Amino acid sequence: MSASQSAVRSRAEAVKVARTFDWMILFTLFFVVLGGYHIHYMLTGGDWDFWSDWKDRRLWVTVAPIVSITFPAAVQACLWWRYRLPYGAVVCVLGLLLGEWVNRYLNFWGWTYFPVNICFPSNLIPGAIVLDVILMLSGSMVLTAVLGGMAYGLLFYPGNWPIIAPLHVPVEYNGMMFTLADLQGYHYVRTGTPEYIRMVEKGTLRTFGKDVAPVSAFFSAFVSILIYFLWHFFGQWFASTKFVQSI
Amino acid sequence: MAATTESVKADAAEAPLLNKKNMFAGAALYILFYGWVRWYEGVYGWSAGLDSFAPEFEVYWMNFLYIEIVLEVMTASILWGYIWKTRDRKVMSITPREELRRHFTHWVWLVMYGIAIYYGASYFTEQDGTWHQTIVRDTDFTPSHIIEFYLSYPIYIITGVASFLYAKTRLPTYQNGLPLQYLVSVIGPFMILPNVGLNEWGHTFWFMEELFVAPLHYGFVFFGWAALGVLGVVNIEVQAIAKLLKKDLA
Repeated sequence: MSASQSAVRSRAEAVKVARTFDWMILFTLFFVVLGGYHIHYMLTGGDWDFWSDWKDRRLWVTVAPIVSITFPAAVQACLWWRYRLPYGAVVCVLGLLLGEWVNRYLNFWGWTYFPVNICFPSNLIPGAIVLDVILMLSGSMVLTAVLGGMAYGLLFYPGNWPIIAPLHVPVEYNGMMFTLADLQGYHYVRTGTPEYIRMVEKGTLRTFGKDVAPVSAFFSAFVSILIYFLWHFFGQWFASTKFVQSI
Repeated sequence: MAATTESVKADAAEAPLLNKKNMFAGAALYILFYGWVRWYEGVYGWSAGLDSFAPEFEVYWMNFLYIEIVLEVMTASILWGYIWKTRDRKVMSITPREELRRHFTHWVWLVMYGIAIYYGASYFTEQDGTWHQTIVRDTDFTPSHIIEFYLSYPIYIITGVASFLYAKTRLPTYQNGLPLQYLVSVIGPFMILPNVGLNEWGHTFWFMEELFVAPLHYGFVFFGWAALGVLGVVNIEVQAIAKLLKKDLA
């Protein structure tokens, strides 16, 4: 290969080639990350995400942000620190939501006939936007982890509130009080139905009702900060360009 | 003038840098094939896939399993064997333009890997959740498993390894050793398939609620993380492509 030879015929062709690579790279990155993120999320927080009767005020609020901040932190560690692209978190979450919505319509509804209003995915977009904006404005991994991670955990419940609120209205059914979401689960029994109408929420402070969701969100925010740090370093490792001589 | 005319003729005669026809035909192949698979599931999942002791289960599902395994082994052997057999033994002496062309072909493979990973890890894996929360399993080889574990996973493995082999046998970038993250992004998702052994062993042992978040499934999670190795592949490729184009983009 001669160093004096050029790979392209003109600058215009070079620009066109670079743009074409951009699209192919982004397409591949989007779908491979979507696949990895989706299998991770569905198997660490999936049941809370699949069904409205799992979307309680305690464990859903706690688990979903903690397990979903992972891939955004890792992808940010590559896209921002190498290319100054400020949308690592949003692109992950959009991929995940695309994979989920396609599945909920074509498979949960299309194959096993669950209405979409029992199996819609959680909304992770507000937290992801804040995570990206804080990284873009601060350029600091520590600030993004602490402020962004905390915002990611705290915003989850408010971000889902308009969707879930109507299903948390209490109803009385056969002399028992539970939520509309529980009633949906009662009529759509699954092999993973939570012990056939058990109390998903447990704990002494539950007696006082109003504190459950904020306390869960605050705890989730704390762990999200720690997970962000950890996964940022995972992301750096995954983004390395090291070659090894043997395996 | 004559030289220019010759150069234009040579340009017109050479293969395009990116063969778009191949790329769109490849994508269409995956999408149409999986569309047909989804149709098959919809029709024969309910009508012949509920009782593994029924004769129709053998006809529509076990035969599907046997056929797909034979086809996958054949496809992997022929495809990987062809890529290896036709490798370039003078890869370090190709022209920059040829190298650029090969990077495009390599990215066509990676685009296919993206599509294959999407169907395997996202589409058919979450689909398995809703099927098993609806239908109580009485076998390891349920309709959704026959598609998810034994069709969609082998297809992304075949595609990923083909992509890696193409890079290793035809691109100068990959001649100085083995790219660690490329190995991670291909071998990690591959390991999801052997992990099916753990999964089925556990499900056979314990009759439990069909919880997707059960610790028994964490092996899939761990190996799913390896998909992030694609970040390293992107970085290696961006460096290589930038080196080829830098002078002309300056």
